Amino acid sequence: MKSISLYTDRKSVLHSLDPINKLYYIAFAIFIPIILPSIEISLACVALSFTLLISGKVFTKTMPAFGVVLFTLLTVILIQGLFRPGNATILFQAGPFTMYREGLLYASILSLRVINIVSSFMILVLTTSPSDLVDSLVRKGMSPRIGYVISSVFQIIPEMMAAMETITDAQRARGMETEGNLRVRIRAFFPLLGPVVLGSLINTKERAMALEVRGFNAKSPKTYLLDQKQYRFSTVIQWGILFVIGCAIVWRLAS
Amino acid sequence: MIKISNLSYAYTKNTPIFSEINLEFDRRSTAIIGQNGAGKTTLAKLLKGLLKPFDGEIMIGQYNVKTVSAAELSKVIGLVFQNPNDQIFKSKVLDEVMFGPLAIKMSESAAKKNALEALELVGLHEQLETNPHDLSLSEKKLLCVAAVVAMDPEIIVFDEPTIGQDYAGKEKIRNIIQVLKKRNKLVMTIIHDMDFVAENFERTIVINEGIVILDGDTRKVFAEREILKHAHVEDPSITQLGKVLGFQETFLTVEEFVQRWKQSQR
Ligand SMILES: Nc1ncnc2c1ncn2[C@@H]1O[C@H](COP(=O)(O)OP(=O)(O)OP(=O)(O)O)[C@@H](O)[C@H]1O
Ligand SMILES: [Mg+2]
Repeated sequence: MKSISLYTDRKSVLHSLDPINKLYYIAFAIFIPIILPSIEISLACVALSFTLLISGKVFTKTMPAFGVVLFTLLTVILIQGLFRPGNATILFQAGPFTMYREGLLYASILSLRVINIVSSFMILVLTTSPSDLVDSLVRKGMSPRIGYVISSVFQIIPEMMAAMETITDAQRARGMETEGNLRVRIRAFFPLLGPVVLGSLINTKERAMALEVRGFNAKSPKTYLLDQKQYRFSTVIQWGILFVIGCAIVWRLAS
Repeated sequence: MIKISNLSYAYTKNTPIFSEINLEFDRRSTAIIGQNGAGKTTLAKLLKGLLKPFDGEIMIGQYNVKTVSAAELSKVIGLVFQNPNDQIFKSKVLDEVMFGPLAIKMSESAAKKNALEALELVGLHEQLETNPHDLSLSEKKLLCVAAVVAMDPEIIVFDEPTIGQDYAGKEKIRNIIQVLKKRNKLVMTIIHDMDFVAENFERTIVINEGIVILDGDTRKVFAEREILKHAHVEDPSITQLGKVLGFQETFLTVEEFVQRWKQSQR
């Protein structure tokens, strides 16, 4: 079964860690640069995230995402560097444009934060299979229903894409132009939506019935098909991350 | 009408489905047989232009499948999908059948006329407003047949038309094939029902492990019991009966057999 998940199956320490730990790391990556807003800390966090990604052997997989992110950030840097109110120190001039130090610094900190957060999500997404994540969350006490919904989402989109392909084939088999330039493609796209949505509704209904007859709504506690995975250092990492965040808060308040 | 030269195809590297196939089709009605996974559906999709050949060439009339879009090709070749759920996408029977004719730029009135005729042929003319999803599987299959027949292509490929059909359904399919033959269409059918093949098709092609292992008049093909066995294809029951009873001929229909049997009793 295809899945939208970007999960890349590799052998690495990162892959063998508890998915919950990676959620904690996301929190870490979001809060530390906010609590300690200096550019050095942001840089250190980005360096840490990159190191983790490299150690997980998935760094190259992040390139497409970073491509998009960097492109967006470039516009932020330009706009802030050129036009941010409070810009005073001239860094350099290019034709009619003047780049200012304050704006550039501000934009850099912002960019580093974004890169850091994106990296931390990448660590989760690239090194954790969705089913392991959901399994961990449900074992932590999340409702199995929500767990089911989450894991469905990972499957529904590829399913819809497969359905789209099937219907496109049906349409071009009967004379509708779907190949060619952009206009043709866009024209062919809209008639697809109806059948794809309808098809997935029908699938949903059948799946609901399949779950129902298998007793998904039964009141008794659920059992697990898979043995609980043994993750190393789970608690240590979790408390370690919380401890560092705590320290950061104390540092900030004290200084 | 169709010329396949040196056709190779693979879905994924390292698992070729076809290697260097050569085939030509004339107007003889043709059955394509072979075990599950032999690549019959793949061949149909290649002919239809839904898949593009890896290597080699397919010419349909004057069209080269590689360079023409599937939509363009649909004027000359129609495919009834193996799984009707993959083919049906409209919410009314009549709309489903009119979609093709309208897409190839038939006038509204001609499209409607063709659609109604085709629906009459398959026996669904009283359910024009029904939602196809409410039809039974066998009716859906017939609807798919009508949807292709209404486009009036020169070549029609059926992918397992008799699947899930009861006797009456099979009779309908048989009748449709006869009608199309009379209209001088090339009818090509992928099928597992050997009795049906023996009774209805002039030519039979056996595909096994990516190559054509038998090709010729249906009677000749079914005479090759050893090769058929090797390809995991069973010859028709009446052919088997004839062989078991020690007749030299290869029987294709019950009538043939009965006639010959009566002779031998005299
Ligand atoms: N979309 C696809 N991607 C990858 N492999 C495929 C795909 N479709 C079919 N195959 C594989 O190609 C081979 C030929 O499939 P195909 O559907 O053409 O067989 P078939 O002769 O029509 O079988 P059946 O009698 O079961 O309909 C099979 O091994 C199948 O698993
Ligand atoms: Mg098939």
